[in-house]
Amino acid sequence: MIEVRAPMVGKVVEIVAEPGTRVASQDELIIIESMKMEIPVYAPASGIVQDVHVSPGMAVQKGDLLVTIAT
Amino acid sequence: MSTRADLEGWEPEIREIASRRQLAARMGGDEAIARQHAAGKLTVRERIERLLDPGSFLEFGSLVGTAEYHQETLTAFRPANFVMGTGTIDGRMIVVGGEDFTVRGGAADGGGGSKWQFSEALAAEWRLPLVRLIDGAGGSVRTLEQIGRTYVPDNPGIVTMTRLLGIAPVISAVVGSVAGLPAAKAVAAHWTIMVKDTSQVFVAGPPVVQRSLGEEVSKEELGGYRVHLRSGVVDNLALDEVDCFRQIRRFLSYLPANVWELPPRVPPDDDPQRREEELLRIIPRNRRRPYDARRLLRLILDHDSLFELSPDYGPSLITALARLNGYSVGVLANDPHHLGGALDAAAAEKLTRFVDFCDTFHLPVVNFVDQPGFMIGQEAEGAGTIRKGMRAICAIEESTMPWIAVIVRKCYGVAGGAHQRRSSLTVRYAWPSAEWGSLPIEGGVDAAYRREIEAAPDPDARRREIEARLTALRSPLRTAEAFGIEEIIDPRETRPLLCRWLDTVQRLMPSLVGPRVRTGMRP
Repeated sequence: MIEVRAPMVGKVVEIVAEPGTRVASQDELIIIESMKMEIPVYAPASGIVQDVHVSPGMAVQKGDLLVTIAT
Repeated sequence: MSTRADLEGWEPEIREIASRRQLAARMGGDEAIARQHAAGKLTVRERIERLLDPGSFLEFGSLVGTAEYHQETLTAFRPANFVMGTGTIDGRMIVVGGEDFTVRGGAADGGGGSKWQFSEALAAEWRLPLVRLIDGAGGSVRTLEQIGRTYVPDNPGIVTMTRLLGIAPVISAVVGSVAGLPAAKAVAAHWTIMVKDTSQVFVAGPPVVQRSLGEEVSKEELGGYRVHLRSGVVDNLALDEVDCFRQIRRFLSYLPANVWELPPRVPPDDDPQRREEELLRIIPRNRRRPYDARRLLRLILDHDSLFELSPDYGPSLITALARLNGYSVGVLANDPHHLGGALDAAAAEKLTRFVDFCDTFHLPVVNFVDQPGFMIGQEAEGAGTIRKGMRAICAIEESTMPWIAVIVRKCYGVAGGAHQRRSSLTVRYAWPSAEWGSLPIEGGVDAAYRREIEAAPDPDARRREIEARLTALRSPLRTAEAFGIEEIIDPRETRPLLCRWLDTVQRLMPSLVGPRVRTGMRP
């Protein structure tokens, strides 16, 4: 199980990969708005998205759990 | 009258030397060598052989070691646990040395001390690049029993190590678990590379950490690649030892042999006039969307020439070696995926070191600017961003190598102002996607027009109205009208223009070589 965490403080703007989706390494999972940019958070490895722990509009701190992926 | 004995030559002694060299070549013996291999590591002699051009290794100190005699006959010989000499990489001479882990774990009580210091002094004297293959844990308390006393530590070789950094390229390859003085050697280099899983770097290892702090931690957890690629202690990662040697060879290919020589030019095999259509589309029109900065660099620089340094430390800044039309260049760029490209404390330290490195070896720098400014917020303040950032800016101002900037997108604030060197004339090109100022309009309006916005019947509408007014003035072409930017270009022209610039500034290079002279002090 891989935990994908927020790389920096920001706001979740879009969930790209919903639970149950198969993702490949470097696929976009979530878009976070920070520093006036919409930054994608990418899958570090291939697997199936188990849980998305955030929703659009939610503020996140660096290190907050965003997504868990089953490899 | 000469006797038969007088007519004989020195053949017996030559045979003695040859047999001692054979004993030395056995290193720590078959069992120790087998253990080294079982740990996924090569021996020091195997490493040297694979690193250098075949047959080019010329050893110094091949006879150093601890000998046992019966009467006058040698009965046993344990070589000193450091092997060093000169050799070539792609025909270019270097000095190479490394601990022999099969003898006393490469530790300081294995007699290798005078040899490693000699290798550093040789590189300094002959002005040759030095490659350290570091595989040893440094001092050992066993030495107390060996010499019957203790000693005040004095960091042997530190003077030469420091001086050497201003003389010739120094590479430290960490190919084992290193602590203590070997860990210091690991970082006293222009570039440090470590091997995945079989190498670690720490001040002191798990036993000392456990005794001092009660902290239970493995070697990998304490000083493995996951720690040190992000801490800035190590620059790059090798997947295995063979990859390590390949990367060392590649790194050296961009650099001169020493600071008195110019970087080498490889025969160019990539058209300097190449214009890539993709450059017209690579920066998204949506200002909030990032792009692949490394792809942008690859479209402009010579094919396969991009060699990124310290990718995992300060990742909002990209530092790399590359080529344009066969000439070596240092490359700076910003990665909008990390902090929007903002310069945080780690990126500022990375920038300082990279600018010093390029200046030391007179590598022209190309800066592809997409700089939103210094990183803001509580974490950034706590990390001392503005102090480290100013240090980087001073490093840029002190440097003397040719420098050019291509503003591809953002250029804001004090960090944005450091896109160029002000202490000399710096040409800047800008893409139509460029946007710049002291502050971006969005944040700046809230600060500068706060009273007017708060007093308005509809504050949000008033804010948007003011932003729209200022946005109308934002076009980089207006700045160009006032010669606030030298030229705004079609992005496809970037490569031909950079190649032409590099060709033009070659005439400056011969007068730039030699050691850096630094005056003043950085804040």
